[in-house]
Amino acid sequence: MTGLDAILPILNGGLQGYLVVALLLFALGLATVLLRRTLLLQFMGVELMLNAANVALLAFARFRGGDAQAMVFYLFIIAVAACEAAVGLALVIGLYRHRDTTDSDRAASLKQ
Amino acid sequence: MFITFALITLLGATGMLLQKNVIVAGLCMVAAFFGVAGLFVLLANPVAAALQIIVYTGAIMVLVLFVIMMLNSHEEEKAQASRPIQRWVSMALVVALALGSVKLVLASPGLKALGKSGVAMPSAMTLQKVGAALFTDHLLGFEVAGLLLLAAMIGAVALTKRNL
Repeated sequence: MTGLDAILPILNGGLQGYLVVALLLFALGLATVLLRRTLLLQFMGVELMLNAANVALLAFARFRGGDAQAMVFYLFIIAVAACEAAVGLALVIGLYRHRDTTDSDRAASLKQ
Repeated sequence: MFITFALITLLGATGMLLQKNVIVAGLCMVAAFFGVAGLFVLLANPVAAALQIIVYTGAIMVLVLFVIMMLNSHEEEKAQASRPIQRWVSMALVVALALGSVKLVLASPGLKALGKSGVAMPSAMTLQKVGAALFTDHLLGFEVAGLLLLAAMIGAVALTKRNL
């Protein structure tokens, strides 16, 4: 098998192509959480990682013949992501009121 | 088509990682979410694509952009202490994780077999199918998700209100 034969099904949207996209998306989200200091950007990185999980889940569902269970699980993930968005953003606003910053390094101590 | 949407998704995510301005980073993230919605359409799942656009780009990103406007700090603040060791270690860890997991996926014979056996396009996901699965097998989970959303809503209001 030559290298081109191995790459072509991935570029044309085989299962492995979707999984590679999901993994790279997860890595980019993780890099955002680890490397950026702004809390809002870190929060967006978390959303990106949740989305990567969704891509992998629905890719598996399609290659197993359109499984509806994956869709139910996707709905639950979306519900948890929405909850996380509401509470996380409320915490960022609370932090900004108390300390006048959205930098996670400056929020390292719990004391005032 | 697949490669187009994959590139939109990954470039949007990269833009979010590298962008200095928080608002532009948020818009890059919207692009990434649209790319993911396109991938869902290619996966014969228009329901998930519609939900992706409505919930993520419609609700969550608008919420984030409102918060950015409320905070009026659009640029990343100057670092108190530059932590070069932590940055390099985390960068190396992320790259190692990405390359290792991609290598594992490409080498896995089980995934190759599943990709070959499931290559025939299934019939598109419909709301009827989702509803039947949701309200017969997962009714309890559905109710708990509703309760969780209510709790999060009350918690968010309680956290942002000044004098409760």
